[in-house]
Amino acid sequence: MGKTSDIHELTNILAKALRHRIGAMVNSNEIYAEKYAKDADLLVKEAKKTALRQNWNSYDKNQIKNELKKKLRIELENKDFLDSKKFDIMDEEMNKVLKELELL
Amino acid sequence: MQFTHRVSKGSAFNQIYVPRGMEVYFEVGDLVEVRLLEKKIELNYSKNLKKIGEFKEKLIKEIFSFLSRFEEIKQVFAVGSFLTSKADYRDIDLILITDKPSDKIYEKLTEKFGMKFHVISITEEKLLILKKICPLTRSMLYYYISNKTIPGCGKREIDVNHLRFLLMLPEDSLEINLSGRAYYDCLRRLIAIENFLSKKEEDPKKIDSEIEKLISRSLFLALKDSARIEGVALDKIRKIIKEKLDKLGKEIVDGKN
Repeated sequence: MGKTSDIHELTNILAKALRHRIGAMVNSNEIYAEKYAKDADLLVKEAKKTALRQNWNSYDKNQIKNELKKKLRIELENKDFLDSKKFDIMDEEMNKVLKELELL
Repeated sequence: MQFTHRVSKGSAFNQIYVPRGMEVYFEVGDLVEVRLLEKKIELNYSKNLKKIGEFKEKLIKEIFSFLSRFEEIKQVFAVGSFLTSKADYRDIDLILITDKPSDKIYEKLTEKFGMKFHVISITEEKLLILKKICPLTRSMLYYYISNKTIPGCGKREIDVNHLRFLLMLPEDSLEINLSGRAYYDCLRRLIAIENFLSKKEEDPKKIDSEIEKLISRSLFLALKDSARIEGVALDKIRKIIKEKLDKLGKEIVDGKN
């Protein structure tokens, strides 16, 4: 697969992973911040495999960040049952996961 | 001079007797000190759980006794496959009722017993809510051993947002390739939610049997073993997940109206 399609795949998975992570943080009833952080971790693990397929330069990394931000916003908007605090922490959580994958 | 004795039940007060032969050393009017050496550990079984083997019981007693040193822990539950499978368990699942969750307890448990634990810390208040609204919590507490008694899970209450939260992973599993174990968790989750909505018991053993019936024994074992699933097998699992999601989505919306 080429770089562009890997970027699409990577950002698709990461947007979903971050939606899980942020959802567990903002929904007060979730044991879940703990238990369902596992769901997010599962998806981040899949994203890592995709991230390892390429050598990313700073232009690619920038593209990943921009694409991820757009997709994550859509993911969070679609899940109206997640508390609106989700938008306050999305940038911070996005940066954390990109650092984790050495993409920032 | 000292002796060790168990506290016994008296008619008005609980008591400790001075043993025979010690009365010359411990006379009426002497001043003594009483210290707690070992807390008595009770094992309270959930009504659905049959008695487990001696080795496992002894281990749980030791774990409960160790955890009784942490004042912040109000109650402990052992749950999961350690109780229900003969040997097919990956770790020991514990739920700790506490107002002060701490990673130190997990570290100390691992250090003391040299075993793999999965520890969930939760407040009593949250557990009470989850017992009503969460199919997974109800399923988890279907079989348990605890150091204290608790009432059953009680009446179900439908919290649409919570159920939609639980459905997020099965939804994503239709688009993202996950490990076999994650697909197994998705199926388990969907059947537990189905049972919850139709007011059936969320028995994890029955849920496993249902998965096995749906996908065949060999595929069921492969998923539990976290094998990578591809091709026809993956299509089959995704088709089942999709059908269940469609059905549940409709039921949840109907329940809301």
